[in-house]
Amino acid sequence: MKEGLNFVLGVNLIIWSGLAFYLFILDRKIKKLEETSTARRK
Amino acid sequence: MIAKVLLTIWMTVIIVAAFLYADAAVGFPGETSRILFFHVPQAWVATLSFLLSMIASCVYLARRNLKADYLALSAAELGLLFCLLATASGSIFAKAAWGSFWNWDPRQTSIVILLMIYGAYFALRSAVGDPEKRRVFAAVYSILAFVTVPFLVFVVPRITASLHPEDTMNPAKPGMDPKTLKVFLGSLLAYTGLFIWILRLRLRLLNLEGMQEPEFVVTEKMDLEGEKQ
Repeated sequence: MKEGLNFVLGVNLIIWSGLAFYLFILDRKIKKLEETSTARRK
Repeated sequence: MIAKVLLTIWMTVIIVAAFLYADAAVGFPGETSRILFFHVPQAWVATLSFLLSMIASCVYLARRNLKADYLALSAAELGLLFCLLATASGSIFAKAAWGSFWNWDPRQTSIVILLMIYGAYFALRSAVGDPEKRRVFAAVYSILAFVTVPFLVFVVPRITASLHPEDTMNPAKPGMDPKTLKVFLGSLLAYTGLFIWILRLRLRLLNLEGMQEPEFVVTEKMDLEGEKQ
């Protein structure tokens, strides 16, 4: 059972790492868009 | 930035603790009780989102503030997303504990009704062409939709016979294992942080999209011309 538990833990960690990485990338992209938009409005 | 990095580490710690630190609850098949650390926080965040959407809708109706409408929309979107996640994780537990993914248990039935109610919110938003009317209709609908949330989430499943675990896994009841309680509360915190992070991203995106809308450009131009004169 413990082996199965470790597998589920691994899958959970991979999903979470992927999601966190995606959110950081998204954050950076939105920041760039905001900067471009502010520059255009000026 | 620091808060986001800390949240990432915190969530990782919680995931590891949920599997390796906390013990499996007695009375559940195998390790299925560990779903508590994911399923309940998802349902909690969904309820929180719907509440926030309702409050933002009230603010929009009172002040006609565009940002309040953005907040109502983003919160409803995230509420629906976390509600779907809670339904999916609940189904996985149902398969292991009750033998089938779907049993039409009062909990499952009430969450489907909730999903349909909030699904209709987005149907309404996409059906009304005029932006001003769309925002007003959506705000009124969001307030009315939230009236059903306490009944569907807290009342209906408790007044009918349900297979859903209550006594063993409800943190409000005494008897929860201290290790389980620690990880559970940590998970609630982590999920709330994740919700705030995604909500802020969605709000920033909506603000950017709003700047491209014709009505915003016209208002901006008028403001600039007014300043010149």
